[in-house]
Amino acid sequence: MKHKPSRVKKRKGIPLFLSIILVFCVLGTVVFAVSKKLSQEMSNSAIQNLSESLDLIQCTIEAILKNEAEFQTMIAQEIGKAEDPVAYIRAYDRNQVMVKLSLVLSGETSGVSNTGEVFSPKDLDFSSGSTVNSLPVSQSYLNDMGTWAYSIKCPVKKAGREIATLYVEYIYDSLDKSLPNGFYDQKAMLYIMDAKTERFVLKPKGMGARSAGHLNLGDFYRANSIREEGLRAELDACLEQGDNILFYHDIREKHSLNYMWAVNGGSIFLVGYVPIEAIQQEGRTVNQNIFIVVTIMMIAFFLCCLLYYLNQRQQSKLRKEREAERELHSKQLAEALRAAQIANNSKTTFLSNMSHDIRTPMNAVLGFTTLLSMDADNPVKVREYTKKITASGQHLLSLINDILDISKIESGKVVLTFEKFTLNNLISSVDAIIQPMAKAKHQTFHVEVSGIQHEYLVGDETRVNQILFNLLSNAVKYTPEGGTIWFRLIGLKQRSSQYEHIRIEVEDTGYGMTPEYLETIFDPFTRAENSTTNKVQGTGLGMAITKNIVELMGGTIEVTSEVDQGSLFRVELEFRIPEDQVDQYFWSSRGISHVLAVASDETLCQSIQTLMRETSVEVDSVHSIQDALALLQEDSTRYHVLLADWALLHPAGLPAAEQLRAALPESIPLLLLADYDADDTEAFLSLPNTSLLFKPFFVSAFKEKITELREHPMGTIDENGADQDSLEGLHFLAAEDNEINAEILSEILEIEGASCEIVENGQLAVERFQASSEGEFDAILMDVQMPVMNGHEATRAIRRLPRSDAAKIPILAMTANAFAEDEKAALDAGMDAHVAKPIDVALLKKVIRHYIERKEGIV
Amino acid sequence: MKPSLKKLVALCLAGTSLLALAACGSHDPNNLLRDKEEDTRVVSLYSPMEKTDPDAENVARSASEKTILMAEEQLGVKIEYITYTAEDYQDKTYDDVAIDRIRSHMDDLYLLNPDVILKAGAEGNLADLSGLDCVKNLRDVVKTANTVNGKLVAIPQEVVAYGLFINKDIFDQCQLKLPETPEEFLECCRVLKEKGYETPVGANRWWLETFVLAQAYADLYNGGNTAEEIEALNSGRTKYSDYMRPGFEFLKKMIDLGYIDAKKALVSEAIEGESPDFLAQKTPIVMAYWGAANTDTAYGNPGFNLQVIGFPTERGQMPVVPITGYGVDAQAEHMEDTMAVLDVILSDEALQVYTETNKVISPSKNVKVDCIPALKPLNDRIEEGVFVLGSNAGMKLEQWGNTCLIVRELLNGATVEECMAAFDTLQAETLGE
Repeated sequence: MKHKPSRVKKRKGIPLFLSIILVFCVLGTVVFAVSKKLSQEMSNSAIQNLSESLDLIQCTIEAILKNEAEFQTMIAQEIGKAEDPVAYIRAYDRNQVMVKLSLVLSGETSGVSNTGEVFSPKDLDFSSGSTVNSLPVSQSYLNDMGTWAYSIKCPVKKAGREIATLYVEYIYDSLDKSLPNGFYDQKAMLYIMDAKTERFVLKPKGMGARSAGHLNLGDFYRANSIREEGLRAELDACLEQGDNILFYHDIREKHSLNYMWAVNGGSIFLVGYVPIEAIQQEGRTVNQNIFIVVTIMMIAFFLCCLLYYLNQRQQSKLRKEREAERELHSKQLAEALRAAQIANNSKTTFLSNMSHDIRTPMNAVLGFTTLLSMDADNPVKVREYTKKITASGQHLLSLINDILDISKIESGKVVLTFEKFTLNNLISSVDAIIQPMAKAKHQTFHVEVSGIQHEYLVGDETRVNQILFNLLSNAVKYTPEGGTIWFRLIGLKQRSSQYEHIRIEVEDTGYGMTPEYLETIFDPFTRAENSTTNKVQGTGLGMAITKNIVELMGGTIEVTSEVDQGSLFRVELEFRIPEDQVDQYFWSSRGISHVLAVASDETLCQSIQTLMRETSVEVDSVHSIQDALALLQEDSTRYHVLLADWALLHPAGLPAAEQLRAALPESIPLLLLADYDADDTEAFLSLPNTSLLFKPFFVSAFKEKITELREHPMGTIDENGADQDSLEGLHFLAAEDNEINAEILSEILEIEGASCEIVENGQLAVERFQASSEGEFDAILMDVQMPVMNGHEATRAIRRLPRSDAAKIPILAMTANAFAEDEKAALDAGMDAHVAKPIDVALLKKVIRHYIERKEGIV
Repeated sequence: MKPSLKKLVALCLAGTSLLALAACGSHDPNNLLRDKEEDTRVVSLYSPMEKTDPDAENVARSASEKTILMAEEQLGVKIEYITYTAEDYQDKTYDDVAIDRIRSHMDDLYLLNPDVILKAGAEGNLADLSGLDCVKNLRDVVKTANTVNGKLVAIPQEVVAYGLFINKDIFDQCQLKLPETPEEFLECCRVLKEKGYETPVGANRWWLETFVLAQAYADLYNGGNTAEEIEALNSGRTKYSDYMRPGFEFLKKMIDLGYIDAKKALVSEAIEGESPDFLAQKTPIVMAYWGAANTDTAYGNPGFNLQVIGFPTERGQMPVVPITGYGVDAQAEHMEDTMAVLDVILSDEALQVYTETNKVISPSKNVKVDCIPALKPLNDRIEEGVFVLGSNAGMKLEQWGNTCLIVRELLNGATVEECMAAFDTLQAETLGE
């Protein structure tokens, strides 16, 4: 549909284009015809003009000849009257026209000239029969002046009787002054030719090129390549008959109009040519002007077309831009609508899931509560029910925590807390949680560390823990029983010397994910749904939270997965390396400078050496027990600690360990590097000064173990220490408006051997504390949201009371407001600590004990 | 629309408006005739012009034209050519017409052959050119040859040297060496005739005198006693005929042996008569002037290996150098402009142009160009100072023209003795005047 308008436009454009072409063709034809007609007319006019010019020259020459003849006749008459004709002749001075006068008396063969020499008429040729005013004119000849001349003879009569003949010599040069000084802008060539001899007798000044042939007519033909037989015959005929002729012929590659123009009845001819370009100069000028006008019109037309085209193009461009903008807006709106719909659907689905997920444990809680009330007398069932109620409660709590977490992240309220931490602690804490979970599902959980350059790093340990826990708990969750889970911590090439670049990989052999689900795995409010995963409880927010945290830390997360093959999550993060990386004095102060590592795994040895590089301790490694023994036999005191890989030692059996132990002095610790799930370690640990160091190897763990071994030699640690957080005998004031919560609190404290007095709001709490004797209450447990007076105001009021213990008594916030800002508000109000509901009894005990002891000055 | 395009359109419209306004605003004068052009200053030049071959380039004329144009541009004058060439041997010769025109004072400037220079100069019809600026640059030989009665009456644009034009390919085919002496030359002719070259030497009615002059004056000009010998000739103590005899006898032998076609030569114009056979390689030897080797109208591109050598004499190959030149009418109508024109066309600058175009020997001491390879043998001799003057104003008897005329007599059947007698008569007439 979109192409249809452009095709119509094209179809419209072709006739328009053809019309324009047609108009131009017609215009061109008209201009050409007009131009041609003009040229023709101009040419005809020029030919006419040339003819007239030649006629004029012809008439001029003929008039001169006539005048000469008339004048000569007059002179002859004068001579006839003279007494001494010879003396008359001799007295005549030559002039520029009549250069020589000669007189031959009748009956004589020679005569005299005015120049004094003897004149013989036989040297003159009058055979051509040419005459002027009936006087014979001789053939042209070169006279004694070295120029072309002709003579006219005239009878001299006296008393009607011819007494002599007068010969007067004229030179052609005298004609020059009477002829035009060039014509056709001096581009024309003109010769005067004697018809009989065909010699060129005069080339008027200013007429003709210097290089043209000018000797005679033959030379003229040859110089100008006039060779055509037909033309030459016609020219000869004209010459013979004394006719004029004009003809076109190229002269030195220029198209020219040639002429032969008879003068005095054909006794002499005007011969020459005029280049056509000179003849048609006017026509050419007119044509040039027409061409200029047409060109200007064409340019103007094309300029208009161009302007129109540009305008149309601009309009079209603007239209397209508007359309594109509209389309974009529509698209954006559609996308926004779709996103809103998806979000709405997601939220609807999420709410539906939540409803389901909340109702499910809630149903369990309520159901088991009902059962509990019915089976209250059966302690076994009571324990079982309470256990399930607790589990359901825990699940509900995690659900709520996740919802709150994603809400906070999305609203940008999450602030990372950068602190120094060790990878050892990170891995230990994760391992401590995940290992039992994996074990419970009979899964194998591998922790692998490689390429880590620095163990101490700066970052938000809690959030990193959260990432790892989310990924690993998912892996455990979505991997069937008996599956395998790998947790890899890989040190990558540092981009900056100040940052450790780490890749975290969590791989499992679980159910995997479909490509479609992979696209939305990090979107909030989504959760894979199928018959398998529906068995697994979850909020569907874990991965969204994880991705948000990773991005908040400036890292990346990606996932590859195949259904029924497993999944691989890759997280890349950078952590700043703290400046005070290692306590350099730790090792020297304990006299440790050499450590021997015994491990068949080269990677492990390298990892130990890499991590220990920053310490001053030198690490030697060997790959077999025999090598280690050999080294120790050489010098048993060289090494101050021996690290032995459990994977190498365990198959070799206890005797090998005993051999090693025996090779070492008893004061040197033997540390077995083992996985968390290593079995059968007891017998080995019974060896003197021998202990277990869990893989992966970390310097911090190593240091802790060294410290532990130095401070608490084997067996001296009080493994069964008394419960130090006991609340036995303590008395609390609790402000709690919710009766159930108040009751629960009261019961818990009672179970712990403590007593509690409940008030319903802050005001009552203040009053009750005011009324109490000093030391009556060990601490105040304060709810925050309460009627009459909230916990913050009540705390401030208590702290303001004029009692010596008002400032000291521990006030602990116990509230469902669990955010960090809530905690800050509580502390700002004067409370000592913040414990979130639902109450974690252990945590509560620990916190209470801590503050009471502080109050008592124990801590 | 882009701003630049808008500007362009605005500029076009503004330009069109301006043109329209300019067209409407022209002033129509009352007198429709153009202002009368100033009178052009004219200098008339009488010069030869050979019959035109439209397909050939005449470098000599091109070279001359260039210098004439320089004069026209520098001086603002127009030089008008009056040209003449004899149609055939029956016509008046160029020299005859030249002398007639000089005597009638028809022109301002003339291009003249040596004999006419001496004749017209002796008659006092040529102006003294020694005051021109260009004279100080001239070679002494030029000044010597053209000084008549103490007046420098003509100055050439090139020093014309005559030599023998040899078809070296034919000589090589016939295993002939280039001849040095008259005997060697005759031997060459004999061999060539035997080889089928019917007339080994192509000739015209003008230039056979060069053989005679070369042999006559080889010793005079190159023997170290030039002034005394000329003085002896001028005083009548020695006879010109004694000098001329060997050359005439040599020519006579050539004619008798059929090495030269005397009848044909007698009616042949220069170049016209002998060049067709020479270019067609039917005739292996002709004689011509230096410039003929450079111009397409003569032997510029012969299509074979051309070598130009001096005439055979007992002193070896001998170039003959007749000094031609431009002469000014003593009563020239436009004397001042004519002298100015001469000063331009004979300046070193103009002669450099002329010499480079025509590849000839310059009359100026300051202008030198390389010659074409064919002319090298001739050039080498001239550079060595070995040559014979074809004309010398210092000799009372004019040589170039008179020798030419007497050689024609020989061609016409006169004996050597008759020719020598003619010389004696001439000498007597000259010394008796």
